[in-house]
Amino acid sequence: MAYLLHVLILVALYSILAISLNLISGYAGLVSLCQAAFYGVGAYTTALLALNLHTPFLLNLLASVILAGTAGLVVALPSLRIRDDYFVMATFAFQVVVYHLLNNLISFTGGPMGLHAIPAPRLFWITLSGHLGFLILTVVLGALIFWVARRIVSSPFGRILFAIREDEVLALARGKNVNQAKVLVFMIGAAMAAVAGSLYASYITYIDPTSFTVLESILIISIVIIGGAGNLWGSVLGALILIVVPELLRFVGMPGAIAGNLRQGFYGLLLILFVIWRPQGLLGDYSFQKVKAGK
Amino acid sequence: MQQLVANGVLAAAIYVMVATGFALIYATSRFLHFAHAVVFTAGAYFALFLATRIGLPLAFSVLLALVLSAVLGCLAELVVYRPLRRRGSSPLVLLLSALGIYIVLQNGISMLFGDDLKIIPGLDSGPSFTIGLARVTPVQIVTIATGALCVVATAIVLKTTRVGKMMRAVASDSELAEISGVRAGSVILASFAVGSVLAGLAGVLVALDTAMTPDMGLNVFLMAAAAMILGGVESIPGIALGALLVGLTQHFGVWLLGSQWQDAIAFTILLIALAVRPQGLLGKRAVRATA
Amino acid sequence: MNVLEVSALNKSFGGLKAVSDFSCTVEEKEIVGVIGPNGSGKTTFFNLVTGFLLPDSGSVLLKGNSVIGLPAWRITNSGMSRTFQLIRLIRRRSVLENVMLAFRAQPGENLFNVFFRSGTCRKRECQQREKALGLLDYVGLSKKADEPADALSYGQQKLLSLAACLASDADMLLLDEPVAGVAPEMLEKIVSVIRDLPGEGKSVVLIEHNIDMVMQVCHRVIFMDAGVKICEGLPEQVRNDPRVLEACLGR
Repeated sequence: MAYLLHVLILVALYSILAISLNLISGYAGLVSLCQAAFYGVGAYTTALLALNLHTPFLLNLLASVILAGTAGLVVALPSLRIRDDYFVMATFAFQVVVYHLLNNLISFTGGPMGLHAIPAPRLFWITLSGHLGFLILTVVLGALIFWVARRIVSSPFGRILFAIREDEVLALARGKNVNQAKVLVFMIGAAMAAVAGSLYASYITYIDPTSFTVLESILIISIVIIGGAGNLWGSVLGALILIVVPELLRFVGMPGAIAGNLRQGFYGLLLILFVIWRPQGLLGDYSFQKVKAGK
Repeated sequence: MQQLVANGVLAAAIYVMVATGFALIYATSRFLHFAHAVVFTAGAYFALFLATRIGLPLAFSVLLALVLSAVLGCLAELVVYRPLRRRGSSPLVLLLSALGIYIVLQNGISMLFGDDLKIIPGLDSGPSFTIGLARVTPVQIVTIATGALCVVATAIVLKTTRVGKMMRAVASDSELAEISGVRAGSVILASFAVGSVLAGLAGVLVALDTAMTPDMGLNVFLMAAAAMILGGVESIPGIALGALLVGLTQHFGVWLLGSQWQDAIAFTILLIALAVRPQGLLGKRAVRATA
Repeated sequence: MNVLEVSALNKSFGGLKAVSDFSCTVEEKEIVGVIGPNGSGKTTFFNLVTGFLLPDSGSVLLKGNSVIGLPAWRITNSGMSRTFQLIRLIRRRSVLENVMLAFRAQPGENLFNVFFRSGTCRKRECQQREKALGLLDYVGLSKKADEPADALSYGQQKLLSLAACLASDADMLLLDEPVAGVAPEMLEKIVSVIRDLPGEGKSVVLIEHNIDMVMQVCHRVIFMDAGVKICEGLPEQVRNDPRVLEACLGR
C-alpha cells in the first residue's frame, strides 16, 4: 500500500513538472532543457530553509517559487534574441551550470553528499509524515497548479502564447509584446517546477545534485511530448505512463544494476518513437513544427 | 602554468575534433545532432570491446572502432533523421529525436559495460615527456597532433576536394545545390560518416589517455558545442580558435577556482557567447531570432 | 495632419541597396497604392515603416510621432497595422479567435488581471467577442466564425487578415498584396471593404500588382523600382508616365 502511494506521489510530482514545462514548451513553443534546474532550485531552497531556519513549509514553498521564478527570468531575458535550436543549447548550458553550482558550493548545498534529514512539511499545526498525508498535499498543490495553468492558457494571455508558438511575427504584427510574454511564461514555468522541487525535497527527505541533471530535464520534456504538447491533461497522462510502466518492470524481475538504465532507455526509446510517429503526443496539438507563412 | 597550457591545449585538441565533426553535420543537415555525444563514447567502447573481448591488436581495434563509429552515425541519420526530414520536420523535432537517441545509446552502453571506470589496456605508453615545465604523455602528444591534423585535413578537404565542395554547397544552400546536381542526401550521409569518425577518434584517444565512463560524452560534447558556437559554425579556423579558448579558459579557471568548476566555467562562456555574439567570433551566419 | 510621413528612408543589405532615399506622405482618409516590379523594395518599405526592419537612415512619423527604433508591436499599438504578402494567420485557431487576437487593450493579456480581476476580463472578453463577430459580419465572414482559419479559402484568408487589421483599431493600414491570387468574387468583396475604409476614418497604403484594382481604388499611386521612388501622382498620371513605361518595358 505504501508502495502504491509512493508511485502516486511520484506521478503527481511529475505531473506538476510536466505541466510547468508544457506551458513553456508546449503552449508557447519554447523548447527548454533546463526545467530540472528550476526543480533543483526549488528543492534546495526548501531543504535549506527547513534545515537551517525551521520555517514552515508554505513559507519555504513561497521562497522556492520566488527564487526559481527569478532564475527563470535570468535564463529567459538574454535568450530572447537567440534562435530556436541555439536557444535549446543555451537552456542546456544553464542546466549544467546550475548542476555544477549545486554540486560545488559544498558549504552551501552539501555538494555531492547532498542534504539529509530534511524535515517533513509543517503546515500550520500539522506535520505531514505519512505517505497518505503527503499524497494529499501533492495532489492538492498539483490541482492548484493545474487550475492556474488552465486559467493562463484559456485567457487572452494564453492566446498570445499560442500566437507566439504558431507565428511569432504575426503576434508582433498584432501588437503583442512577445518578449514580455516569453519571459513571463518562463518565470511561471520555473516557479511551478520549484513547487515540485519543494515537495520532492520534503518527501524524500534527502536530495543531492544527481536528481537535477540534464537527463532529468530530458525526462521531463519527454513526458510533455509523449503526453501531448499543448494539453494539460496530456501532461498528467504522460507522467502516469512514464512513471508507472518502469515501476512495472520491477515486478518482471530486472536485476537492480540495470533497472535504472532500462528505465532511462525506455524513456529515450519512447521519446524517439513518439517524435517519429506521433510528435503531438497522446493528447496534444503541437508537434514542434513551425508552420511556414503562406498557404 | 605551463602545465595548465599543456592541459588546456590537450583539452582543446579533443574538443576541436568533436566540434569539427559536429559542425560538418550541423552545416549540412541543419540541426543539432545531440547524439554526437554518444558517438564519442561509443568509439571508445567499441575499441575497448574489440581489444579486450575479441582480443584484436590495439591498432586494429582502434581502426575498426572508427569504422563502427561512422556506421553508428550513419545509422542515426538513415533510421531516424532522414525519415523525419523527408516528412518536413523542423530542426527542433530532429533535435528532440537526437536527445532520445542519446539516452537510448548511453544507457545501452551502461548496460553492456557497466558504469565503472574502464581503461583500454595494451598501450605501453612509455615515459612521459617533459616540455619546459609541463608533463605530457606520448598519448597526449598524439592527441594534440591528431587534433591539429584533423583541423588542417578537414579544412583542406572542404576547400579542395569534390566531396568537400559539395558539402560546402549543401551547407550554404541545399536547394541550390540539389539543382546543381548535388545529392544533398548523400552529402549529409558523408558528413555523418566523417563527423562520427572524428568523434569516435576523439573518444578513443581520451580513453587511451585517461579512464572512460558511459557518460563521458555528454560533457565533452557540450564543450565542443561551445567551441563550435564560439568559433562560428561556418569557420574551421573559428572552431579551432573556439576550442582553444574553451580548453585554455577551462584549465585556467581550474587553476583559479578549482577543478570542480571546470565544466561550469566552460558553460558560462557558452552562455555569454550565445547572448552576446551568437554567430561566434569568426562566423558569418546570423543566428539571431528573426523579426 | 499627415497620418504617415516618411522621409529619406534608406536600407541596404550587404552591398544591395533595397530602399534608397524614399519619401512619401499619407494623408487622412487616403488610399495610396504602391506599385512596381518584383524586388523593387515595396515590402522592404513596409517592413521598415512597421518596425520589422531598422532603417539605415531616414525618418518615419506616425501622426507626428517618430516610430523609428520602436519594436513592431508598439508601432501596431500606436495605430499602424499591416498584413503580409504571404498570409499570416493562426491556422489552428478559429476565425473568431484570429480577430480577437488583434484587439488592443485586452485586460486579460495581463496575468494579474486574469487572476485578480477575472470579472473585468470576462466582461471585456464578451464585449470583444461581440465586436469581433460584428467585424466578421462587416466583411462577410460571420458564417465561418468558429471554423479554423485553415478551413478558409485563400481569398477568405486574405479577408480575415484584413478584418484582423481592422480589429486593432489602427488608423493607418498597410496592406501587402491584399488581392493577389484571389478569386474574382472574393476580390470584389475585398476591394469594397478597402474602398469603404476612408469613410471609417482610416488611411491605407497598399502594395499590389493588380494595376486595374489599383487604378480603381487608390487616390494616389507611387511607382517604385530598385528601391527608388520613380514617380507619384494620380493613378492615371502614373500609369501614363514615360518613366513608368520605360521601367516596365525595360524588364
